[in-house]
Parts: sequence; C-alpha cells; structure tokens
Amino acid sequence: MKRRTFSRRDFLKTASSLGLVTAFGGIPADLFAMEGRLVRFPEKTDLILLTSRPPQLETPKHFFKELITPNEALFVRWHNANIPTSVDLRTWRIKVGGNTDRSFELSMDDLKGLPKVTYTAVIQCAGNGRSLFEPRVAGGQWGNGAMGNVTWSGARLKDVLARAGVKGDSVEVAFNGLDSGVLPSVPDLVKALPVDKALEEDLIIAYEMNGKPLTMLNGFPARLVVPGWYASYWVKALSDITVLSKPLATFWMDPAYRIPANPCACIPPGTKPGKTVPINRMDTRSLIIEPSAGNTLPAGKEVIISGLAFSGGYGIRDVVVSVDGGKVWREAKLGKDLGKYSWIQWSLPWRPSKKGKYTLMARATDSIGESQPLDSLWNPAGYMRNNIEKVAVTVR
Amino acid sequence: MKKIIVFTILAATATLLAQHPASPAHAGETDTVHSITLPEIPPTLKDGPGKDKVITLCAICHTPDYIPMQPRLPAKTWDAEVHKMIKAFGAPINEEDAKVIINYLTTEYGTGK
Repeated sequence: MKRRTFSRRDFLKTASSLGLVTAFGGIPADLFAMEGRLVRFPEKTDLILLTSRPPQLETPKHFFKELITPNEALFVRWHNANIPTSVDLRTWRIKVGGNTDRSFELSMDDLKGLPKVTYTAVIQCAGNGRSLFEPRVAGGQWGNGAMGNVTWSGARLKDVLARAGVKGDSVEVAFNGLDSGVLPSVPDLVKALPVDKALEEDLIIAYEMNGKPLTMLNGFPARLVVPGWYASYWVKALSDITVLSKPLATFWMDPAYRIPANPCACIPPGTKPGKTVPINRMDTRSLIIEPSAGNTLPAGKEVIISGLAFSGGYGIRDVVVSVDGGKVWREAKLGKDLGKYSWIQWSLPWRPSKKGKYTLMARATDSIGESQPLDSLWNPAGYMRNNIEKVAVTVR
Repeated sequence: MKKIIVFTILAATATLLAQHPASPAHAGETDTVHSITLPEIPPTLKDGPGKDKVITLCAICHTPDYIPMQPRLPAKTWDAEVHKMIKAFGAPINEEDAKVIINYLTTEYGTGK
C-alpha cells in the first residue's frame, strides 16, 4: 500500500480549500481550560469545575504530560443529577435480558469469574474541546481536558451476551446505569449500541481502572468500555443490559448525541443538519502539550515540543510537526506503544535560532490513513473536534 | 484557596457482616459498601430580574452554574434551551415564568437580543 504522508502541497491544497486567512485568524490563548476554578471531589484531585450538580470536572493540562491518566485526575461527566453516591456490592447487580433466550443478574463475583481482559484505551467526551468551536455552541464548555488514557480491566461484554443468548432479530443492546433525573419526567441516560458493535471482541464491562476499583465518580462499581468510541456509550455504574429488537429512540439517542450524516460529520457553521446519525467512533487527534500557548522560549536553546496523539481504535502511524505555521513538517518521534486504543506520546527537539513569533502545529495520522483537517469542522452540538491545533509561542 | 473536601468511605465492619451473614449464593463476594459525600458548591449568578425564578425552578434539576458556563447566546438560543427543559425534560415551568427566565438569561448571559 502506498504510504501517504502530508506534504506541503497537500497542506496548500487543504489550506486554500478551507481558507487559510480565517484558519489563522484567531489562535486561542490556550487550548486547555483555564485552571481558575479548581475543586476537589471525593476520590479525585483538584479538577477544573464546569458544574457541580451533576458533577462535570475537567482534567488540568499538566496531567497530559503522562502516558497514563491517574484515577484521581480523570475527567468526570454525568448527565442527570441523581448520581450514585453509595453502592453495596452485596446487593448491586447488572440485570441482563430483553430479546434473549435467558435473563439473569450478574454480581461483582460473577463478573470477576469471567475471563479478565486488560488494555489501555483513551476515554474522550464527545464534546471535548467544545469551548474552542467558532461560532460558539451551547453545551458543556470543555477545553481539551475531557479525555484520559486509562488501563481498563473487566469481563467481555460478548461473554455476558453469549450467556444470555441474543436472538437473531436483535438490532441493538441498551445500557443503563444507576443515575437518574431528579424529576420522573427527566429522560434517563440509556445508551444503545448496534448489536454487531456490542458483540465485538474488545468491549468490556470494566471493574478496574489502572488496577484499582473504579472511583465512584467514574462509574463504580462497573462501567461499559467501548474502546475507540466516544465516552457517551461508556455507561457508568452499570445496572441493566437489555437486548432490543427495535432501535432505542429516547432523548439521549435522538436528538442528543447525533452528528450530521456525512463523512466529515460537519455542516457550514451556523446552519442546521438534515439527516443525522448517532455519534460513534472517535476521529484522529494530536495535541501539543509542551510548550504551552503564550510561552516565551530562549533563542538558540533546544526545547522539546511534545504531546499526545490517538485515533478511533487504529493506533497512530505518524505525527508531523510544524514550527512555521504549516510550511515545513517534520516527523516526530513516537513514544511507548500501548496498543491501538491507547494514546501515544510524541516529541520533537527544536532549536529556534531567530527571535520572533512562531505557530506550532501537530498532525497525526492513524494506521488506516485517517488524519486531521487544518481548520475546525463545525456541527451544532460541538462534537468531534479534531482540527490541527495551533500553539503560538514567542522566541526571545 | 478554598477547598472543601468531604470524603467518606464506609468499609464494611465486622458488625455489618454479623448482621448480614453471607448466604452460600453470596459466598466470596466483596462485602463492601462504598460511599462518598458530594461537596456543595454554591452557584454564582449575576443579580437581575428573574434570578429568583432561575434559582427556584432551574435548580430543581441542576446547578445554575450551567448558565455562566455558556458563551453569550442570542435570545432565540436561550429560548430554545428553556423550552428544551420544559418539553424534553418536563421542567415544571409555566410560559409566564419561562418568559421571565429567558429575559434574565438573555440580559445577563446573552447577546441582549
């Protein structure tokens, strides 16, 4: 297969089609949220407060220097305010049933009795980076800290579904957790996956994150892990797995968490989409972690430009970095490979000789050639941001 | 810096175990009750006509901190947000109160039009 690299010609093609002038018009001060309002919730370290009830907490930028996100630093996102704060493992069960041959309940011991699977996978909120959209959109105003890289352990979902016996006419599998709305009229957060997706090898019901029980705010005692897909499907504090013969059509499936039904999941800014589909696999991203936007660097001294990159389950083939706003691209060195669902760290040494302003950019490509657009693609809910981010620094 | 840490983990005690002897079906289970206590973080809302309605009605279901988090939105977007809460989430807000709330949101957290 022909190896595709991002050349200057490609860049110019992309640049002209997107409008280079606007692409460089407004470089945000920082791509991560302001760390002004830090709060400490149970089992968590100081995180950036978006909302407290239900809790929505963002990971501060410095944790992204690490390959693995510590449990206490992983972002928190609940949809409805009645969240579980106490779970008794003697009575907690996952009810499995619906359009199946058998129905049963799983205890934690039952889950731990199934073969244990462990892998590292990026968990990322669909709205990660929403606050950077132009024009701005309503919703949780995340910087880029609604993501993390965690080593998950648990039982395969397909082993549980095999025990239930999924009937042939099934179309989806729905997942519900212990959380609910304050009023009975509030739609419960139930998410459904296509049945073929649910039966894939790598989905797990995770009861450990980084070798420890899940924190309460990240879904204790067990959550679904759908590696490569956005976290809205990774239902926390799992209580019900229901196989369906008809698609689930509740609020959180439609109109919530939908994207325009086209290859870019994008529409002209400010317009409304026609046909939509449920959000699904993550797109490819790379983020520059060091230096930070606005940093001043000494001329003639070597600095290491470093960051992370990940894709929707296809690993990362390469990361290219530009220090001159996209004219010349150099390949970064990739760090330790923890598998196709993990993020990979990358770095490139740089010795700026001339004083002045520089625009740093990084662009990742995954193993099936999926990469990043130059400019931000827009959709009304502010999902799937993955454009090449620009970090402006000064060399003095 | 103000940090309120409320952190409680209730491990199962010998007393609890004695009160709930493990049945054979439950043998070997982790006999643990895991609990946390969430901190109460007061919202920060600008003063203005309608603030009381926001606190009594919107805050039934969620912290009003959702409001100052948003970018400056036009009246039609705030209108759509409030009516989403009424229609999709069943918020008990009548049309008269909805108007007051939308006006507060547009004036204090919107583009003003």
